[in-house]
Amino acid sequence: MKQEIKTISQNEMGIFVNKLIQNDHYEVVGVKSKGERFVFDELEDANELRLDYDVTILPPKKYFLPQYEKLMDFDLKKNFDVKTKFDNKPRIIIGVHPYDIVALTQTDRVYLDDQKDDFYKKRRENTIIIGIDIQKVSERSFSASLGTHITDTGFDLMLTNLGNKYAITIGSQKGKLLLNQNASTDEATDDEIKKIAKIHIELPSKYKKKLKVTDENELSSLLVANYENALWEERSDRCLECSSCTMVCPTCYCYDVKDEVSLNLEDGTRLRTWDGCLLRDFTKVGSGEVFRDEIKDRYRHRFFRKGNYLTQRYGFIACVGCGRCSTACLPDIADPCDVINELHSFGGKGNKDKFFLKQQIDFLEKGTIHVPRKATITRIEKLTDSETLYEIELDDKKPLGHKPGQFVELSLFGIGEAPFGISTGPSQNSKFELVVRKVGNLTSKLATLKVGDSVGIRGPLGNGFDVKSLEGKHLLFVSGGTGIIPMRSLIEYCLDKKNRDKFKYIKILYGAKRPCEVLFQKEINEWEKCLDVSCRLTVDTCSGGECWVGSVGLITTLFPKLKVERIDPKNTIAIVIGPPVMYKFVIKCLQTLGVPEKNILVSLERRMKCGVGKCGHCQINGIYVCREGPVFNYADIKGLPEAFE
Amino acid sequence: MKKPRVAFFDFASCEGCQLQIADLEEEILDLINIVDVVSFREVMKEHSDDYDIAIIEGSIMRPIDEGRLKEIRENAKILVALGACATIGGINKIRNQWTPSEVKKEVYGNYNLKGNDFFDVFQTKAVDEVVKVDYNIHGCPINRDEFKKVITSIAMGKNPEIPNYPVCVECKKNENICLFELGKFCLGPITRAGCNSICPTNGSPCDGCRGILKKPEVECINDILERYNLDYEEMKRRCNIYNYGKEVCK
Amino acid sequence: MSKNISVSLHHITRVEGHGNIVLDVKNGTIEKLQWQVPEAPRFFEAMLKGRDYNELRPITSRICGICSIGHSLASLKATEDALNVEISKQSALFRRLAINGENMQSHILHVGYLAAPDLFGVGSVFPLVGSKHQDTLLKIVKLHRLSNEMSDLICGRTTHPIRLVVGGFSLLPTKKQLIKLKEDLHLAIKTSQDVANVVSTVANNFPNFSRETEYIALKSDDEYAFYDGKIASTDTGIHSDPKKYESVMQEYVVPQSTAKYAKHNRESYMVGALARFNLNSSQLHPIAKQVAKMFNLKSINFNPFMNNVAQLVEFVHNIEDSILLIDKLTNNGVKPERPVKAKKTSGRGVGIVEVPRGILVHDYSIKNQKCVEANCVIPTNQNHANIQKDMEKLVPQIMDKPQKEIELNLEMLVRAYDPCISCSTHYLDVKFVDS
Repeated sequence: MKQEIKTISQNEMGIFVNKLIQNDHYEVVGVKSKGERFVFDELEDANELRLDYDVTILPPKKYFLPQYEKLMDFDLKKNFDVKTKFDNKPRIIIGVHPYDIVALTQTDRVYLDDQKDDFYKKRRENTIIIGIDIQKVSERSFSASLGTHITDTGFDLMLTNLGNKYAITIGSQKGKLLLNQNASTDEATDDEIKKIAKIHIELPSKYKKKLKVTDENELSSLLVANYENALWEERSDRCLECSSCTMVCPTCYCYDVKDEVSLNLEDGTRLRTWDGCLLRDFTKVGSGEVFRDEIKDRYRHRFFRKGNYLTQRYGFIACVGCGRCSTACLPDIADPCDVINELHSFGGKGNKDKFFLKQQIDFLEKGTIHVPRKATITRIEKLTDSETLYEIELDDKKPLGHKPGQFVELSLFGIGEAPFGISTGPSQNSKFELVVRKVGNLTSKLATLKVGDSVGIRGPLGNGFDVKSLEGKHLLFVSGGTGIIPMRSLIEYCLDKKNRDKFKYIKILYGAKRPCEVLFQKEINEWEKCLDVSCRLTVDTCSGGECWVGSVGLITTLFPKLKVERIDPKNTIAIVIGPPVMYKFVIKCLQTLGVPEKNILVSLERRMKCGVGKCGHCQINGIYVCREGPVFNYADIKGLPEAFE
Repeated sequence: MKKPRVAFFDFASCEGCQLQIADLEEEILDLINIVDVVSFREVMKEHSDDYDIAIIEGSIMRPIDEGRLKEIRENAKILVALGACATIGGINKIRNQWTPSEVKKEVYGNYNLKGNDFFDVFQTKAVDEVVKVDYNIHGCPINRDEFKKVITSIAMGKNPEIPNYPVCVECKKNENICLFELGKFCLGPITRAGCNSICPTNGSPCDGCRGILKKPEVECINDILERYNLDYEEMKRRCNIYNYGKEVCK
Repeated sequence: MSKNISVSLHHITRVEGHGNIVLDVKNGTIEKLQWQVPEAPRFFEAMLKGRDYNELRPITSRICGICSIGHSLASLKATEDALNVEISKQSALFRRLAINGENMQSHILHVGYLAAPDLFGVGSVFPLVGSKHQDTLLKIVKLHRLSNEMSDLICGRTTHPIRLVVGGFSLLPTKKQLIKLKEDLHLAIKTSQDVANVVSTVANNFPNFSRETEYIALKSDDEYAFYDGKIASTDTGIHSDPKKYESVMQEYVVPQSTAKYAKHNRESYMVGALARFNLNSSQLHPIAKQVAKMFNLKSINFNPFMNNVAQLVEFVHNIEDSILLIDKLTNNGVKPERPVKAKKTSGRGVGIVEVPRGILVHDYSIKNQKCVEANCVIPTNQNHANIQKDMEKLVPQIMDKPQKEIELNLEMLVRAYDPCISCSTHYLDVKFVDS
């Protein structure tokens, strides 16, 4: 594509920038010096601009995904009062280097996907980007190796320093208009256009650091081949776990969400802030479990995200070679160039698709992805000492429209949000049930609510069970502990009169820790009454005084009995939901029974925070549990090292 | 809902953390709206021993203080340690490198202090070395915003979220030049965040007043000292300004 | 008249730190009257042993939460004196702003939050919320906020400042920020006059009491001294060698106190706002002078309760002074400066500044960049003996009053001194044995 190119004298350039600064319509930010380093900051005068910079401390992502961003205000005096305000201030960013522009276009793929982030979208729409070709290459940068040292898209205007003047490549109508209205320019001559090309061609020679692997497929496969390489542990031994590498990264976009309440306990805000996958609490869930506990695994995760997980998902290497992470890392172990080149010395080819799962995803929710819908608690039933059932109805009286196995994010303003598997089957009824175990802040607060109180609901989210695939099969449900909660949703669906004919025998295995922790005893009694349904219950331990007629022992002790019953393993679909430790053992039992791997469905728990594949917390290797899960076919994910530990 | 009754107590400290509460300015009015302050010697004459939440400032240095603290623990449903002196012992622990009798002799000379409770000191203890602490509000001084967060959390019946990650996270968000790059030794990488990296943001290295999160591996320390041409002894000294006895480095 | 009184006020409230008053009167005779300081000693001197000269400032700042900026400045002046560091003119102006900010913060806190409840007959400021004095209270809160914001801006933080470092500042405010501060300070003059007006209507609630004593403060030819000056006494005039401060401030140990006492020309002396006023009132800025007149405060005033009024006068003076300082700074344009480096590695230095509660001395001996000997003389230490002597004179005068009133008067007396007790126990002079 032939781009329009203008030129502007150094002097006119200053006038142009000052004209923009004086125009109240815009907030004008540009690269300024901060001590010996550089930052993007609001400009007061054109002469503050340092277009000769090497690299800024933080990338311009702070203008699109700010360090702290208000998602909504709420008023706790009122039952359910939420207001969302967008940043609509038109902004011009001057002096963005090509690698940062590429990073933004990468972030677009995530934040402007099928579940658009409105905050990000508004900021992107309201921002004009004036880029500048790199004049001084940063010591630690290797962007030329990745081809991000130059770009011909992603900007509105792109400057190139030709010595006595700047060339301006026009990248958009918006940019063209801005230039026409505020600057006096000349057409670039052929010589000048050639000069730009020459600058672009000569730039790579100025780099000290060079990557030995630059092809995304090659890098992906190299990483997979070296998943167990000792290098991860050797390097991460020196990691301070400060996540500085992700904080300064232009392509890192994971975030955390927190509710803050002012001292009057009335007004509050829901804030999102940058989070980092190197931090230990990144994968910590309400019950206290940490899914990526070892620093080695977190350290490796960052590189796999850059070179395999996102690469397989979007087709690009999620590193633009800016070198910020290696500058920021005190023990100097974060440099992707060093790590990749070291891996290259080991060599190897792996199946690059191994950690990624292509799945169709249903998204039902419309509008902003962050704001919950108002719902009301219509019934509360205490099931055990720690579990309580909440029947909830959306205030618009519409059915939730979920599939068995999907989950919702439940909001209590001032406390936060947490994911809960939906416990009732799909129905035209506007009511649905959640069963909640009291473990953390949100669930403790929920315990204090009464019928008629409001909660916020986002969802249904995630991938539920593909019920079509279960038709014509025997079904074996295996659940442990609170796994029975989402399981009930599918069981109810299958036992529904309308659907019962579609499935053959139904066997339900359910293990709890102690008799008093058994959930849904009433429902189980009902299920058992159905034809061709058998239920077997077991508890880990049963103390003297407790009344219990089922088995005693771990859930795995129920399997030998199944063998006696001669089930038809090839035509059986096993559905397994339970605590993380359970899967390994149950799956082994199923394999012993002869159930093929592709016939095993599981539902996994992780820290599902945003529910829409952005915040990064629920990742199991390359997959997002909140998008591709929580229901998975075992055969699809058994190769994911992080799935079952 | 009944307002929780709050009492403030101070032990060996500069009382600067209680001052941060006075420094809430207009928001104090909000504070006394959501809790009943029943004892706050620094600003009020009234006092009551009937309280739900005891907020303790200062380190424990003497048997008479230890007894008083245990009584407070008995009375309180929730006990909060306020500020570095209370949460980790802070600078009061610097003197633990000597025995109490050595220190007393150096300070008071040969003056006869026998039988005088006021002068009967033992090695400095943090509050949790004497009684169970429910929540810590870290810092020297505390961060007012964090105090508000903790108080609102308790008032709403939730556990306050105290950051479990290092100061670097906040420092990076604040886009500061890393102090190591300026040739200074900063404890930010291993110190608990929550201060919004206030010292590095103001051009001074972190001294670790919010407590050490992680003891780095020796190789890591050596790499860093070498990369930035820093002195091991200096690092050791800096580590024990607030964290004496924590053995951050060997 | 024979009367028995037993007063034991344990942990006086609304003062910084712990102090007790014990009074025992049998048959009209005082058997025991003691001002006790039971605060836990913190042994700061031991903490400084072997510390790098750059660490003395952050550690000594922690002596006191209220006057941490004052301790920081005394510490820096001592260190800079010892190692021959001459700070820039700009830094000296900023440090004066720093000391003004802290004095304002501490004085308005004391007058407004701690002393005022006695004048309005309540136990704390909280009952003033919603009372007819709410408006005044909110004005006081506003002035307190401004004082803190000023310290935040100049020092990075109001309690335990960050930007104050050996040789200058680790970060400076911008010109834009200073100009905004100046606007706020201008508005604050009117607000503080309003507060002074209200306080003057209840000033007759201060007991009418007088005891002749010695007053000691810094004195300078150029200004109402806070940051710089020479030690001066109302009894003995100017003592020009700062290194010989110990000949003026003679400290001694008493059994009822973990803090030391001090004396000079008489058995006790007083430091603080009233001492400064008594020595330097002619150098106050004009509006501060008007406020003094409003209360009929003239030097030399021997009523310790008037220390509260002197604080109010100084508060206004600090605002006026800060406006002039900002003018000087912004006229030159704020230049980015790096802290001046030390020229020597060893030496002895003495730093003396006026902090809210009076004259403060830090004295360090530094050898090879490490502190080997330290001594500090804390304002409140210097006032303890004077408090005791005031009580001894006050009690016979009020013995006929009901016990509650006696207690209140004694408490008010202690509070008038605005004692910073945690501070005074934190530093006791000591000579390290060179190891």
